[in-house]
Amino acid sequence: MIRLATDVGGTFTDLVGYDERTGEVYTAKGLTTTDDQSRGVMDTIETAQTRDGLRPDEVTFLAHGGTTVINAITERTGVKTALVTTRGFRDVLEIGRGNRPDLYNLRTRSPEVFVPRELRFEIDERMDAAGTVLRAPDMDGIAPVVEACRAAGVEAIGVVFLHSYINPAHERQVADALAAAMPDVTVCASHEISRQWREFERSSTVALNAYVQPILRRYFGRLEAALQDRQIACPYYAMQSNGGISTFDQAMDSPLTLVESGPSGGVAGAVRIGDHLGEENVLYLDVGGTTAKCSLITEGRAVLNTTYRLEHTRTWPGYPLQLPVVDIVEIGAGGGSIASLDARGGLRVGPRSAGSDPGPASYGRGGTEPTVTDALLTIGLFDPAAFAGGSFPLDVELARAAIGRLAGPLGVGVEQAALAIIEIAHANMINALKLVTVQRGHDPRDAAFVVSGGAGPALATRLGRDLGVRAIVIPPHPGIFSAWGMLAAEPRVDFRKTWFADLSTDALSRLSDSAEEMRTEALTHFGRGTEAPVSCTFAVEARYAGQEHGVMAPWTPGEDIATFTDAFHTAHERAYTFRLPETGVEITGLHLEARLAGTTITMADMDPAGRGLDDSRTGQRDVWLGDADGWVPCPVHARARLPLNTALPGPMIVEEDTTTTLVLPGQTAEVERAGSLVIREAG
Amino acid sequence: MVLPAGSDAVTREIIEGKLLATVDEMGVVMGRTSMSPVIYEVLDFACGILTPEGELVAQMNGITLFTGTFGTQVQALIARFGEDVAPGDVLLTNDPFAGGTHACDLAIVRPVFLGGRLAAWAINVAHYLDVGGSVPGSVAPDATSVFEEGLRLPGVKIVRNDTLSAELVSIIRENVRLPDIAMGDLNAQLATVRIAERRLSEIVDKYGHDSLRDCFTHLLDTSEAEARAVIAALPDGTYRAQDVIDGDGVSPDQFEVCVAVTIAGDAIEADFTGCPPACAGPINCARGALNSAVKTIVKALVAPHAPSNDGWFRPLTVTAPDGTLFTAMKPAPTGWYYEGSVHASELVWKALAGLKPGRFSAGPYSSLCATYISGTDQAGRPFIHVEPQHGGWGATDEGDGASALMALTNGDTYNYSVEVIEAKFPLRVTRYGFNTEGGAGAGRHRGGYGLVRDYEVLAPGTVVHGSFGRSQTRPWGLDGGAPGSVNALIHVPAGGKPEHHSRIGHLATHPGDTVRIVTGGGGGWGPPEDRAPEDVAQDVRAGLLTEAEAREIYGHAGEDAA
Repeated sequence: MIRLATDVGGTFTDLVGYDERTGEVYTAKGLTTTDDQSRGVMDTIETAQTRDGLRPDEVTFLAHGGTTVINAITERTGVKTALVTTRGFRDVLEIGRGNRPDLYNLRTRSPEVFVPRELRFEIDERMDAAGTVLRAPDMDGIAPVVEACRAAGVEAIGVVFLHSYINPAHERQVADALAAAMPDVTVCASHEISRQWREFERSSTVALNAYVQPILRRYFGRLEAALQDRQIACPYYAMQSNGGISTFDQAMDSPLTLVESGPSGGVAGAVRIGDHLGEENVLYLDVGGTTAKCSLITEGRAVLNTTYRLEHTRTWPGYPLQLPVVDIVEIGAGGGSIASLDARGGLRVGPRSAGSDPGPASYGRGGTEPTVTDALLTIGLFDPAAFAGGSFPLDVELARAAIGRLAGPLGVGVEQAALAIIEIAHANMINALKLVTVQRGHDPRDAAFVVSGGAGPALATRLGRDLGVRAIVIPPHPGIFSAWGMLAAEPRVDFRKTWFADLSTDALSRLSDSAEEMRTEALTHFGRGTEAPVSCTFAVEARYAGQEHGVMAPWTPGEDIATFTDAFHTAHERAYTFRLPETGVEITGLHLEARLAGTTITMADMDPAGRGLDDSRTGQRDVWLGDADGWVPCPVHARARLPLNTALPGPMIVEEDTTTTLVLPGQTAEVERAGSLVIREAG
Repeated sequence: MVLPAGSDAVTREIIEGKLLATVDEMGVVMGRTSMSPVIYEVLDFACGILTPEGELVAQMNGITLFTGTFGTQVQALIARFGEDVAPGDVLLTNDPFAGGTHACDLAIVRPVFLGGRLAAWAINVAHYLDVGGSVPGSVAPDATSVFEEGLRLPGVKIVRNDTLSAELVSIIRENVRLPDIAMGDLNAQLATVRIAERRLSEIVDKYGHDSLRDCFTHLLDTSEAEARAVIAALPDGTYRAQDVIDGDGVSPDQFEVCVAVTIAGDAIEADFTGCPPACAGPINCARGALNSAVKTIVKALVAPHAPSNDGWFRPLTVTAPDGTLFTAMKPAPTGWYYEGSVHASELVWKALAGLKPGRFSAGPYSSLCATYISGTDQAGRPFIHVEPQHGGWGATDEGDGASALMALTNGDTYNYSVEVIEAKFPLRVTRYGFNTEGGAGAGRHRGGYGLVRDYEVLAPGTVVHGSFGRSQTRPWGLDGGAPGSVNALIHVPAGGKPEHHSRIGHLATHPGDTVRIVTGGGGGWGPPEDRAPEDVAQDVRAGLLTEAEAREIYGHAGEDAA
């Protein structure tokens, strides 16, 4: 009856509750308790209970998203971990791919390993590429490994053998033996996490999974106990990186699937909004304090990244993970991004951020460098008195003074400089938004543009106009949209398997058998029996013979070869601009996305009472729209009281507690029946 | 909203961002759609955008070899074609003696005409798996003339009016060993320059020709100014370095090479006068590759992290007489040019290392150690497995050297997955790990470790060739650090004794034989006796050093470590 979601961020813990009977929404925000995050979660539930009368015994669904896993990795606070490999290959994890993207830095290094060389052990065993056993594991080799791990105080062990993606028998055998010998140590074999080839990437995946597994188990254990104490006895779900949820038990088996838990909550929310509005394609942007993240939803489904790399930058290889992670492009441009002049006199915005402390100059907490938030305040877009629901007044003069320091060297006025800062942040975001659309063969003009985050809605209408999107959508609760998205997420599991054959009718028929096995695996995963409403979407990774990288093409088991071949050529041309109809095609992988239907959030109609144009109007403010238009008077409206299903013309400012939206001249804005603010170009 | 007036800085910043996004996009498309493993795993290609006069303004760089070769190549094409280029044309060149590198590197160049005006050039250079010649892969380690190194096309119109030339396609197809792969790569290259034109046209539509031009000028001028400022801060003087090249593929002779780098005010000159004449074997490089080799180090000196463009190199002069090992002339072979050019880079590096230690490290394993394994697989299909090898880099004044990293000549170059190799080729990898036997240069900070990669040959008739430098002359240490260790290509016949090779044109193997690839460790920095006992203890714990080795090198095995 009540769905609850909690998003544990670095600084704040957000709680969103939704009463499916009344449409009532509970929200609470508290500080994240870093020593034991479950306390912070329980604090927000306590707040919702005492302040809004949330009844824990009525909670029927709880989703949790957070930074536990990613923080343990980025802060290097996981457990002491060992890795067991095929003999001759213990250095694979440290060698990595040996690439040196920091081309001209003659002092560059490879990323540090999570398992030091003295804790990487070898077992004599070998499979070939067909999965045929060349040498059975030498089980006498286990005892010395156990002894060394005990002596070193190892808490988790990963096992990765060559070609286990095709035949996991050896990995299973050795992992079982290690687990039996060390019942207090977490043991995890690579094939349990990934069934894909490339030994370094699979090693990296299993090593990091092992590194965080005890941490997550302990945390979820504490959280479960605390929730049960509080009489919240519904199923508990964890937000995964694939845009879906899994049970806590499933998450504890493969904790690394939670690595991008927070951001993928927003993606799940955008999927739900798209579905509600009948938009198949959604371009989603979340603008936070330090970064902006964008991702694409096509045909109602989040696009997954095929080569996810943690901590990867232009000059740093990062850590590849063979996991289903929504494809998110993140750039250093957010509300707190600092504007500065570089050595060549160019204006830069980000990636440095003022964060929340000292924060933008206008926060008056000692920050002196101008930020995007200061620029938005300077051009009049934000109301200094009403920022963050009036709890946190901003100082316009401090913002103007900070921007003034850039305006001088640029030879322009303060307003012009402010607009220039916004212009650069805007250009950076456009490049990232084009990366997930145009550069991957998708047209933003076919998409609805869903924008969340504190500074997102303030920039959304310009971005949307430049991209030519179908509509700009500011969803309900844009300031805590990740948590809202978790309410909307469905149980989901993705399986990816390296599956190698020349394309032929026979291969497709064998592939159909593999697909059936995968479907059965998915049904087992959800544990709701064979009649459960599980929707399975398959995709086949294929390439032209001779190519290395494949493209994903849609495929249905039983489909004939002509239909699939055509789908592959089309997918290739979309991604890379050409097709080679004369060249042979190879299948390289099979992917299943399975969703358990029927548990997503309803989007009830809003109550029209108390809404109307006169009710919503709270005042008027001048906004600087550039030299041509100058300061333009804009009526200000409270979003919560705007009339439903009524298109209102811009210019107009729409305010709510966590954010402000500027509707530009030539656009119209309309609150649709479930509360999303939909902005379109007029005419 | 309209752009604020007088906001040139803003427009330039935006256009600059779009130029970089464009070359990145070209690179992504190339890397993913190319047919040949040399391109998709090794990323042996680069893409760029140049001014109408042929000055590089934006480059997507997978590797350093193409640093600054674009300008020379495009300028050579401008000289060749003059006014005879039109919208819809695409030019092709692979001439090492006209700014190129070796015949395997095919440059695809598209003049970008927008609104009837030449707005820019877009270029993509990629290493083809085979362009004909005397051996599969086209680079015979013992070639003695360029005529053994495959088809050369020194500036031809491969596309006219957006139509691929059937004649040229037929010439290429008939002269290379793997025509389908070559055509796949050609298609991928053509797609990338088409993308560049599309993106540039979006920029010009929105901001106009003049803004684009202004951005080009500004990028080049400000990079030049920054480079000059760094150089001006260095003490004036002439700094010399010497090195030895081990063998040329035809003979094991050693070649002594040298440089004199002069800093005078805000200008820098690298003078290679005194280097030996072109050698018989194919490790020679021509002048374009020499310039590129020197620019790589200048970039490392002045702005290692900034995007590359020709402005950075305006303060640089490279002096060398014609016909030397670094300035080879037709018909000298240049197939393995990077085995020579890397030494030109390292000479300049070595000469400057003491001037600005914060930008340099001690000597690395140097050679790409490119290895070709070819034959016929179990299904009777021919295969070529081409693989560059990773090795140890030198220590720095701040820490130990990097282990198992790609050589200077390449860069964002991946090693090959063992699982993928075994699924594709009749080879089995039996070891891939640090070369602890060879070791690394000792020092206060030690060098990084090289690698050992063992291939067991499974199919009869498998042949190996390769060219490994630094097989005798060890990577140099700095500031009292010890030299590193050497590279070797070792053949271990089944049941027989190991045979050591370095540059070898033809190595016949039998099933059951092992081909062992060994790369060296980097040089050390600072005297070994200054190494912290806990660092020695950690190396012993990690099994990088035995206790006996530690005692021999450092006088102890870290027993006193805190």
